[in-house]
Amino acid sequence: MRGTGDRRLRRANIGTRVENHGLTWRRRDALRILAACMADWWLPRRVLAQRTSAPRKRERRVIVVTFGGGVRYEDTLARDGWVNVPHLTSDLVPQGLVYPAARHEGLTGHFNSTGALVTGSRQNVDAYGSEAPVTPTIFELFRKEHGLPPEEAWVIATNKSFGLMGGSKSRSFGDPYSANVVLPKQLLISTIKAAVSTNAGPGVEDRQALAERMMLALDEGYEGFGWRVYESGRALGAELKASLAKSLLEYFNDPAMPTSGDELTFFMTKEIMNRFAPSLLVVNFWDIDIAHYGAYSLYLEAIRRTDRLVHELWQHAQSLPQYRDRTTLIVVPEMGRDSDVAGNGFANHRSGDESCRRVWLVAVGAGVPKGAGTERPIRTLDVAPTVAQILGFKMAECEGKPLAELT
Amino acid sequence: MQFTATLTGEAAALARQHGEMLARLPATVHAFILVELEKWPTLFGAEQRYQRALLEHLSRVPTGELDQAVSGIGRIETESGVNRIGERSPARFQDEAQALLRTRGLMVAWRGEVDGFFQKVDPVLEAQLYTADAPRRLVVQIYGSGIAVQRERLWKPFKGVGVRVPLNLEGTETTERFLQRLAGVTEPARGVPALFAQAIESPLDAWIVESHEALHAVCEATGPASLTGLSYDRLRPYRDDLTRALNRKIQSGVESPQAFAAYARSLRIVPPAGSLPYAPDVLLAFVRDVLITGNGTLLMNNTFVEWAAIQALRRAQPRILVTRYGVRDRLKPFSSMVLFSQPRASDQLPVTRDPVGSFVDVEQLSYYVWLNAEKNAAYRKRTLYLFLAEGVDEMLAIRSGAAIAARSGLAPARLSDVHATMAHWLGASVPNGSGRPIVDILQ
Repeated sequence: MRGTGDRRLRRANIGTRVENHGLTWRRRDALRILAACMADWWLPRRVLAQRTSAPRKRERRVIVVTFGGGVRYEDTLARDGWVNVPHLTSDLVPQGLVYPAARHEGLTGHFNSTGALVTGSRQNVDAYGSEAPVTPTIFELFRKEHGLPPEEAWVIATNKSFGLMGGSKSRSFGDPYSANVVLPKQLLISTIKAAVSTNAGPGVEDRQALAERMMLALDEGYEGFGWRVYESGRALGAELKASLAKSLLEYFNDPAMPTSGDELTFFMTKEIMNRFAPSLLVVNFWDIDIAHYGAYSLYLEAIRRTDRLVHELWQHAQSLPQYRDRTTLIVVPEMGRDSDVAGNGFANHRSGDESCRRVWLVAVGAGVPKGAGTERPIRTLDVAPTVAQILGFKMAECEGKPLAELT
Repeated sequence: MQFTATLTGEAAALARQHGEMLARLPATVHAFILVELEKWPTLFGAEQRYQRALLEHLSRVPTGELDQAVSGIGRIETESGVNRIGERSPARFQDEAQALLRTRGLMVAWRGEVDGFFQKVDPVLEAQLYTADAPRRLVVQIYGSGIAVQRERLWKPFKGVGVRVPLNLEGTETTERFLQRLAGVTEPARGVPALFAQAIESPLDAWIVESHEALHAVCEATGPASLTGLSYDRLRPYRDDLTRALNRKIQSGVESPQAFAAYARSLRIVPPAGSLPYAPDVLLAFVRDVLITGNGTLLMNNTFVEWAAIQALRRAQPRILVTRYGVRDRLKPFSSMVLFSQPRASDQLPVTRDPVGSFVDVEQLSYYVWLNAEKNAAYRKRTLYLFLAEGVDEMLAIRSGAAIAARSGLAPARLSDVHATMAHWLGASVPNGSGRPIVDILQ
């Protein structure tokens, strides 16, 4: 891995062929081999052996996926918006239950709205993620009640400010019971920054070198990217590291991808599902927030990408025995965005107008009636207690109420 | 609350004159007014007139009524502890007050009270500032060539408002010809279309805002343009300077988004000579604010056009505004993920254009410019809006506050007729009588 072959691979250019030992490889082949090397290196057999003493898995699983950044009802579930969410409307809704009249209450910033989603109570902490939610999260309540290890609950977020989303400030909870949090995009951004900060080295054109640089950056300390992984202290567990290496390399395999943080989040989520099969996963896709750039087409494109990734994630869950027939998928926007007339338009979510609050919720999978819908108004605050009922843990006092149709 | 504001000239005189009334206001409103007065030299005429009218109006309101009108704001200041902030600089007080209101969860309530207060005050001021006999205004929005216009979706966000006028584009195949016919003869001495020259008193009364340079080129055909012009392309060296400065700050570490915003506000970089046809201090400050405080304006050409246009309408209130949108670049792999980063000279990441996405963008952006103009009393009921797309043989015309009868079978109008229509609307004469006003729009 660290020998001559590695240095040759490091020199390879994107979109070209890699010359090695007289053989001509395509970049994809080279990356696959590199991934295999990395996995062997980081995944010693004794780590696998340790897993036999892990506590027994819960029967049910829940995956909550957010259309992070916020989407307007009119751009998604309203008739004119269906074109932007074809998988949701044609593939998922017919298999599950849709609540078209959901509402986000509380502050319309990213951290506080997702904080409300995972606690069931409105949050009012620092909008940029320097403070944890005030009330206990579903991750802490779940792990504490059932005595579960950290790898049973995960937050995988494109939003770089979500490092503290996995646990609360609550004295009886916090770190010992928090979810593992990984912020794939932040790792990517930090690596790109390092690559472009000097004129030495291959820059960002050599994706393979960039992927290696990312893994080295993780060696130096993932906390610098806002990650909080409780599996084995400051050093990443070998199994996790191997997962990350594989997902990073798959991500870099696609020449179109490195403008999307959500694609990397997707790859990492799949790997974490494959390796750890956690019972509770919250996945935050966040490319949609590109809306702040004022380019409506990029906002719509990100909605379509999120729609596709959600569907692919569900298909992936169905392909894994640990998830098939026992998993409930809940899909919900973090919040809405401003209306054109009363607010500031799609680019923002600061007016607090109705468009900023009107969302929807789609559920599919275990325990969910098929092809149903209810106009009953619900709140995004109801997600946390619903998850609690599905996974069988007690929800501390919260503002939300379990969605009876899903439990 | 006793503030120490840095005021000079007329702003200082206004603060002295209305000092007693200002002292009665809740601290957040008092600070807001002082911050505006501190910016006096970089306020446009319309903004200065508003501030004068506001102070005079509030001083005329009987004490009891004023106290009652601001009582809700005062109550929230007490509840949040804002009234105990000791900061005497109005700007720094504002920052601290906002942070405290956010921390206490009272920001939304405070903003609601402030909105409520100004909703009562503004109609009174607007009636005074924008009388019924004020001059008519004109807003023209053009989609440049290269944008992949989808005819069946064109101007869809307007949802049927206004009237579609068929156009005869004969002889206007190029951008240059299209714009020349529309703008008409340029006045040789002033570098501005003659019809604009007749309708404006100062270069700040007519603005062209564009993603590229075509409008500037037409206006400068006979000499330096004497109007206000903003071109995203021409501002590139300035944008690059700002981007580098912001990137350097990010690389060196930023403690919070607020600290980053404060750093951005503190930057004193100015556009290089020649990037603006007219560059008084007020405009230099305006351009800087547009690029630094507008989301995406440093990165997306059409976002720059929209945001600059909206800010111009809100702040400078020009009599004439012409925008021209263009094709934007696609996001670059990697470097577009790191805000304000620029590819290294050695990185050969190709730039590709997005004509289809650009159409989707400008449909929404031109709509927002119109919506914002209509929210503004200066434009409501006295503005003609024209929407054109180069190479497209129809235009959309909207008259503020008056429906245009949609008559079927309208004869296609030439661009010289559109020019004559604009001139007639503005009360300007048409040289040589080359075009005829479109009566259906003007009736």
